[in-house]
Amino acid sequence: MTTYDYFSIAYGALATVSLSLISIVLGVPLGLGLALIRWSRLPVLNQLTIGYVSIVRTCPSVTLVLLIFYALPVVGISMEPLPAAILTLTLSTAAFNTEIWRSALANFPRDQYDAALTVGMRRGLRFRRIVLPQIVRSSLPALVNEMTLQIKSTPAVAVIGIVEITRAAIRVGARTYDPLPPFVVALVLYSLIVFVFVKTQRTIERRYAQAGAPA
Amino acid sequence: MTNSSAVRMPEAPAASGAEQPVVLEVSGLSKCFGSNTVLRDISLKIHKGETVCLLGPSGSGKSTLLRCMNWLEEPDGGTVVLNGQRVGMRPGGSVRMSDRDLAAARTHIGMVFQHFALWPHMTVLQNVMEAPVYVLKRPTAEVRAEAEALLARVGLAEKLDSFPARLSGGQKQRVAIARCLAMKPDVILFDEPTSSLDPELVGEVLSVMQDLVRDGMTMVVVTHEMSFARDVASRVVFMDNGQIVETGYPEEFFAAPKSDRARQFLMRYAARGQ
Amino acid sequence: MNEFAIVWQHRDLLLIGFENTLIIVALGATGALALGILLTIPLMSSRPGIVALGAAYVDAMRCVPFLLFVYLIYFGFPTFGIQFDNWWAGVVALILYNAAYMAELLRAAWKNLPKEAIEAGHAFGFTGWGLFRRIIIPPVLYSSLPLIGNQLVQIVKDSAFLTVIAVAELTHEATSLQTTYFVPFASFVAAVFLYWMTCMTIETGVAFANRLAEDRR
Ligand SMILES: Nc1ncnc2c1ncn2[C@@H]1O[C@H](COP(=O)(O)OP(=O)(O)OP(=O)(O)O)[C@@H](O)[C@H]1O
Ligand SMILES: [Mg+2]
Repeated sequence: MTTYDYFSIAYGALATVSLSLISIVLGVPLGLGLALIRWSRLPVLNQLTIGYVSIVRTCPSVTLVLLIFYALPVVGISMEPLPAAILTLTLSTAAFNTEIWRSALANFPRDQYDAALTVGMRRGLRFRRIVLPQIVRSSLPALVNEMTLQIKSTPAVAVIGIVEITRAAIRVGARTYDPLPPFVVALVLYSLIVFVFVKTQRTIERRYAQAGAPA
Repeated sequence: MTNSSAVRMPEAPAASGAEQPVVLEVSGLSKCFGSNTVLRDISLKIHKGETVCLLGPSGSGKSTLLRCMNWLEEPDGGTVVLNGQRVGMRPGGSVRMSDRDLAAARTHIGMVFQHFALWPHMTVLQNVMEAPVYVLKRPTAEVRAEAEALLARVGLAEKLDSFPARLSGGQKQRVAIARCLAMKPDVILFDEPTSSLDPELVGEVLSVMQDLVRDGMTMVVVTHEMSFARDVASRVVFMDNGQIVETGYPEEFFAAPKSDRARQFLMRYAARGQ
Repeated sequence: MNEFAIVWQHRDLLLIGFENTLIIVALGATGALALGILLTIPLMSSRPGIVALGAAYVDAMRCVPFLLFVYLIYFGFPTFGIQFDNWWAGVVALILYNAAYMAELLRAAWKNLPKEAIEAGHAFGFTGWGLFRRIIIPPVLYSSLPLIGNQLVQIVKDSAFLTVIAVAELTHEATSLQTTYFVPFASFVAAVFLYWMTCMTIETGVAFANRLAEDRR
């Protein structure tokens, strides 16, 4: 393997992580929005959200990205691989985030919410000032856990031909006729990136354990 | 079961002679949870400056009545009127108030909860300042000065920047009272404000409430503290099984309850050494 | 749209893939659980060196993306002279990877086991393997049923990755169906539906087993 090969794999790792991060940035608020739909029990939308979460949660990311890339054009939505990958990753992480936000909302202490009602806070204010800051805190460990899982499953989008870490390793292997070394490099490199996130997650969990669960 | 209609029910405090205006009036209120009727045809007038203590056995509907008064719980029938204005329903009609109007009405009714219900992500001072600043939109500096004064009044001048988690139960409840007072409400509803406190902390909260009584605050207090009701209440309302069984001045009520149910209730407390 | 008609016509292709997925998942899950149970022994050992060794394996698997791990097994084992076809490579990857996750959740349950039960086991003369098999593992399995269920769903999802090394599982067959007859929509929708059905069945089954286990905790 040449220096250039190492470089291209590193570049692929960066591309993959970037895809992950984009989907996380989009998927966390999307999950919150969907959780709010479930929380307020909006008719129809609530049912649709339940269905969406149930299907996407149980759908392998490889299959989901194939569905979005190959099948959506049939119903008239045609996408380049890159947006298709971002859409897939976002939809998938948002489904898990919906469940995380929803459980935080469901566990929100009733009397604190009542207290906000009794001082005359309106819906928007109640949510922004009282509920949101606390569910952000209580959901954080679960959200970070989901982020590490998301980063780990992102290489799946390689199946629609995006040049990211997996593709980069395959290309190098195809050129050198020795597929193992590039995969070892890719695996070690990418695992180190995930390791940083796992480490962060553990730090956060430890802090929470010390500070006690937020009331 | 005795018939409650035989009992004389004083409607207003006669003590001071002059009739005070009605702040909060509940008429014909009823509430069901599913098939369980929790409140039946409750009517009650709260006059300005009164301290009405709601007594009654567990499950008699005291909390539910309180929560119907500020529409935290939507009554199934009857009306709640605050300073001459319907709460919860639009004037005249049977159409529900908008979120905005209901919120505006609630700013005049304070509430103190059994488990304090402080917002744990805000400091003591922030808890008190939150609603005046963000709901009433009053200038921050002015609100801060008032909040600090209020917290000093409930004996918490030292704790302005503490978070609720660092306070004792008694301190938390005093913050909750200060939070109410900062809204300058017309009436404050207390739902068992001392029930979740250690016995040695009950006194500090009751003494703050006694100060409020002295200052002429209008209060409705659900409590199991019989001595507080006896010494401080201007009127006692006894509830059982979702109904008001008896209303009386504390001296009369505690000395000679008129209904059997109230007598039994008081005897149970006496037996417990209250 | 007669895409679905075409898929229906060639449903045997999809069903072969589905059957393969089910077999792979069953083997993977059984293997991962068994290996996971064995892995808890070093994780709960009283010797720090052994604990570190077990923890290193678990941590490594927590950081490795499954897709890259599949390639590693597929390309790597032949280098060590171990030859197996891609089907078995996939199953082995599934087992080695998920065993770490199983071990971790079982270890947490073991740590939360009441001390008395184990001490009572000692008192009745259980030691070593007997203690582990008869006193420790049953309650650990009962109490971690819901988490094992989650991991089973994860194994179903991971099995789809095996398409990259051409294992003829559900996603792979859906892909070949779509390239042969150009029915992308129907074939992938059918695949997603079958995955959903599988996971729902697993979750219902685990919830049922969990209710049965309630009395034994
Ligand atoms: N949200 C609710 N849903 C269903 N039933 C309720 C609800 N809130 C109260 N109840 C029922 O209404 C009845 C009256 O309850 P309430 O809390 O008003 O009694 P209480 O007099 O305050 O009792 P306590 O002294 O124990 O606080 C009880 O039977 C209770 O089970
Ligand atoms: Mg109550």
